[in-house]
Amino acid sequence: MGTQSAAQIPTSFGKELRACLRCSLVKTYKQFTDVGCENCPFFNMDQDNDRVLDCTTPNFAGVIASMDPTSSWAARWQRISKFVPGCYALSVTGLLPEEMAAICEYNNVRYVPRS
Amino acid sequence: MGYKNYSDEEEEDDDVEEEEAEDVEDEEEEVEEEDEEEEEERSRKRKFKGSQFIDDVAEEDDDEDEEEEEAPRKRRHRRASEFIDDTAAVASDDDEEEMEGEEDFIHDEGPDLADEEDRGRKHHRAMLPEDDQQENVEDLEKFIQQRYGRQEYEEFDEAETTDVEQQALLPSVRDPKLWMVKCQIGHEREASICLMQKFMDMDMQGKPLLIKSAIALDHLKGYLYVESEKEAYVRESIRGMRMILQREVKLVPIKEMTDVLSVEKKSVDIDQDTWVRVKNGVYKGDLAKVVDVDHVRQRATIKLIPRVDLQALALKMNEGSIKGSKDDAKNRPRPAPRFINVQELQDLKISIERKRDPNHAGEYFEFFGGMQFKDGYLYKGVSLKSIDSNGVVPSFDELQKFQKPTDEGGPDTMGLPTALMSKRKGLFVKGDAVIVVQGDLKNLMGYVEKVDDDDVFVRPKDKELKGSTLAFKDRQLCKFFKTGDHVKVVAGTHEGATGMIVRVDLGSVVILSDTTKEDIKVFTANIVESSEVTSGLNKLGDYELHDLVLLDQSTVGVIVRVEKDSCQVLKGTPERAEVVTVKLRDMRKKLFDRNTNAQDRDSNVVSLKDIVRVVEGPFKGREGPVEHINRGILFIHDRHHLENGGFLCVRGLWCVALGGSRNGIDRGGRQARNNNFNGGFQAPANYLQSPRRTPNHFNHPGGGGGHGGSTFGGRQAGRRRDHGLVGTTVKIRIGPFKGYRGRVVDATDIDVRIELESQMKVVTVRRDQLSDPVGTPYHNGGGASYRESPRYGAGSETPMHPSRTPMHPAFMTPMRDPSATPIHDGMRTPMRDRAWNPHTAMNTPLRDNSWDDANPSTWGHSGTPQYQPGTPGGRQYEAPTPGGGGWANTPGASFSEAGTPSVSTGPSYGNPASPYLPGTPGGPPMTPGVPSYLPSTPGGQPMTPGTGGLDPTSPASGLSGLEIESKWGLPEIVVTVRKAGEESQIGVIHEAMPDGTCRVAMGPSGEGEIIVATHSELELVVPKKTDRIKIVSGELRRSTGKLIGIDGADGIVKMDDTLDIKILDMSSLGKMVAN
Repeated sequence: MGTQSAAQIPTSFGKELRACLRCSLVKTYKQFTDVGCENCPFFNMDQDNDRVLDCTTPNFAGVIASMDPTSSWAARWQRISKFVPGCYALSVTGLLPEEMAAICEYNNVRYVPRS
Repeated sequence: MGYKNYSDEEEEDDDVEEEEAEDVEDEEEEVEEEDEEEEEERSRKRKFKGSQFIDDVAEEDDDEDEEEEEAPRKRRHRRASEFIDDTAAVASDDDEEEMEGEEDFIHDEGPDLADEEDRGRKHHRAMLPEDDQQENVEDLEKFIQQRYGRQEYEEFDEAETTDVEQQALLPSVRDPKLWMVKCQIGHEREASICLMQKFMDMDMQGKPLLIKSAIALDHLKGYLYVESEKEAYVRESIRGMRMILQREVKLVPIKEMTDVLSVEKKSVDIDQDTWVRVKNGVYKGDLAKVVDVDHVRQRATIKLIPRVDLQALALKMNEGSIKGSKDDAKNRPRPAPRFINVQELQDLKISIERKRDPNHAGEYFEFFGGMQFKDGYLYKGVSLKSIDSNGVVPSFDELQKFQKPTDEGGPDTMGLPTALMSKRKGLFVKGDAVIVVQGDLKNLMGYVEKVDDDDVFVRPKDKELKGSTLAFKDRQLCKFFKTGDHVKVVAGTHEGATGMIVRVDLGSVVILSDTTKEDIKVFTANIVESSEVTSGLNKLGDYELHDLVLLDQSTVGVIVRVEKDSCQVLKGTPERAEVVTVKLRDMRKKLFDRNTNAQDRDSNVVSLKDIVRVVEGPFKGREGPVEHINRGILFIHDRHHLENGGFLCVRGLWCVALGGSRNGIDRGGRQARNNNFNGGFQAPANYLQSPRRTPNHFNHPGGGGGHGGSTFGGRQAGRRRDHGLVGTTVKIRIGPFKGYRGRVVDATDIDVRIELESQMKVVTVRRDQLSDPVGTPYHNGGGASYRESPRYGAGSETPMHPSRTPMHPAFMTPMRDPSATPIHDGMRTPMRDRAWNPHTAMNTPLRDNSWDDANPSTWGHSGTPQYQPGTPGGRQYEAPTPGGGGWANTPGASFSEAGTPSVSTGPSYGNPASPYLPGTPGGPPMTPGVPSYLPSTPGGQPMTPGTGGLDPTSPASGLSGLEIESKWGLPEIVVTVRKAGEESQIGVIHEAMPDGTCRVAMGPSGEGEIIVATHSELELVVPKKTDRIKIVSGELRRSTGKLIGIDGADGIVKMDDTLDIKILDMSSLGKMVAN
């Protein structure tokens, strides 16, 4: 994948980081509100900032910087090999709210909890 | 148009498509065989494609095509589920010709591509004809796009993976490898994100880093994993990154790769009413209950028992905060948890504000000092990160503490046990008596019939419901126990303990432990009915119950209870009994205090197992044996003390050693030890050594100094030295220094310090690890080893003996004749009365004890075997130890002085005599028949005639030798003579020789030939009732009498001279020849 399709890289390393509950992409709260999640655009987080709270969580453990997801074993193991390069959480705690899960379904995307 | 067809099919039944495809494949299989040749080429290509897919590489290949197109994603993801078709299409279109050259490679890979590939290939085949006809792929793509454009995000379906599929993702050798690099602690996440940034930047610059991913684990501090094909790439990528240490790049074995990514799930089951522990701050480790959680803001309100220093707070509030008070707060000890009492606050003039808190449903709270309280609890807002809910199982004590005394029976009390119970699975087993605690059927009792995943099936006890089985959730049930049930604790801190239920509360019971006899409170959930009686835990790691352990530099304690992963330790604080629960890791080490001593109030030396009475301090009146000693502090075990397993901690100075004397003069055998400390000979001079102490000495090498020969070497403090060995060259037999030779620089009973010949070092090894020349008094069996000792063998014996010879007569003669008598008649008797009699009552148990665990130390030396050698007397002196060296030197002098007949001063004679006269059968000057031997020695008592222990070759003889006075032989006693290789015969001792041998006249009445036998060859003939006897040991030695009855091991004797009836140990009675 080209770099142009890569996700934003977190701009901080601290508490502001949140992970997408669906794809486990890790960014800061602000990045999510600004751009949304690169893998899950259908959440439209950039338009509806409240959704950031619903769809992301600060409860995640570990960070994996996925640079070349297609050929990386770790990315495959983490089931992020189809996602854009970026920083992902190793494990995310929490579930998407039902409403958001429904959005996934509507968009023909199966939601598999990351936890 | 294959694609179209396929798409239609797909449309109709998206999910089944693969199965269907498989069916088609099956049919196709046969066709395939027929057409094999035809299809070979094509199938190979397909195979290749398949393999690419599995490698996840295929996509990339395809991407090249696709990325130019408008809807690459769609196609890709479509392929994700039906990649087979896509592949086939691509293969047929683009690759057919070019791939030919790679056929070999393809074939090699073939077998690796499991069924997936197989399936794929067959699938293609089914589609293939149409495929071939497909000419315009792009058209098709457009068509599909049009058709499925709606499903824009379907590609993410791939994210779905079941556990089984996850297994298929296990790393293989062809996958990139993980490399572990070190980074600054705390910067792991940062490092991985920076690597990502760097990767992007370098990519922009056209110098892409060849790493695949960088992984930072939260739980692994200081390390970062980088995924790449080659170590060089990793090094390249981390170059110049300051938070990553450049040096170390370590490969993670393939097998461990998955472990790296198996992250422990972070639990956020922090919910209302969850029990949590605070991770930091003044409440660190404290139990808290969650009142409210705000998951979005990651904060929670928790309820705690306040740790507020009200005094300090009052001071601060009333005087206004003074600068620097913060520092004070830091230095101040952590306040104890205590509920806040409004009255108390008012007394301290702390202003309280009482108002509603809108955040908590408008309930009233007390506010002061910036804190918020309700019902005495502190309500605190904390970050979710600062509390830990993982595996928090509050102990009963904690819960009880958390329970305010006032709201007994409140919702918490009820809620707790059940709430806890429900957390654990498998609580109920068939046959458990249970009571329903929730729901309509509350208080229904019954027995568990069956347990399955969610439900517990209960057969109710109630007659009306009999026969029916009801299903309950396990949280609805509580185990039911009655007072008096005998139960076993199966979980929790008291795991393993058993006991009887003495009280039943809801959800918890009080058990009287079988072992500790203490009440323990446990949850009913954690107990099962059991008739088993266990001792509970008594070992934790290297520590055992009642061990003395070091807690920190200055604190010691005795383990009084062992729990599952911690110990309760009675701290060495005599002022108050303080029991702390200590985790295994917090215990520094086990202390061995065998050789330590303390002083009691009267400056008597107290050592282990001494019985002391506490006369001061909080435990006044208690008494018991000293179990541990540390820096003047005694740990006493009083059986009547019911707390802490009977252990007490007191100062030595608060105690009086029982049997010790107030003026410090008549202090019995303790004197022997005092010798060692006073380092002189004069100490014993004043006192008579009591036999009471002697048994104890066996336990303590240090005490051993008080014995016999060793007393002469009494200058050594605490430990008996074997100067005889010093300077000799020995060889180490076993252990880490096996085979080394060295010179002995120091030697004690147990250890020998050896300067190695081959290495510049001095090592300490146990005596029994030395090879034979040195021998150990314990294991090699006394005499034998000494005989072999190089020292003797080297001819040193000769010069030594002469030197000694004069000494023998010098002191022996007087002892036997002139001065002995005065000792007994004049001076001994009164002393005995004073010193010994008071102790006798107590002695017996002590002695018994000590015999059991006595090391065959000193006694072993004096054991019979040593008298075997030709010149037994001589042996004796140089033998075990100090005797040898010490004898020749200092004490020798005093002896010759004391021993000479000319020294007519009775008292002064008593001085040297006392240390060894009484308590030491093996004492050097002891020769058979020496009258001074009379004082009873414990050794003589337990002797049992007929013991096989006299066999000189058996090491056991050392032990049994203990029990016999070494030279008991007296004229007129009937003995059994057992000479090696001969049949045992009855004889009568004719004369006991001073050298330890006896002249024995053979025959039951002594009319036969006279032979010379050593004591080890002689055994007393057990007298029968009405036999005339002669007492061979004890203070009545040589007295005669008549045995008028036998009671077990005791003989009832009517003394000849006094006509007294005495009860004596049978082993001290020798049958006299009938005349």
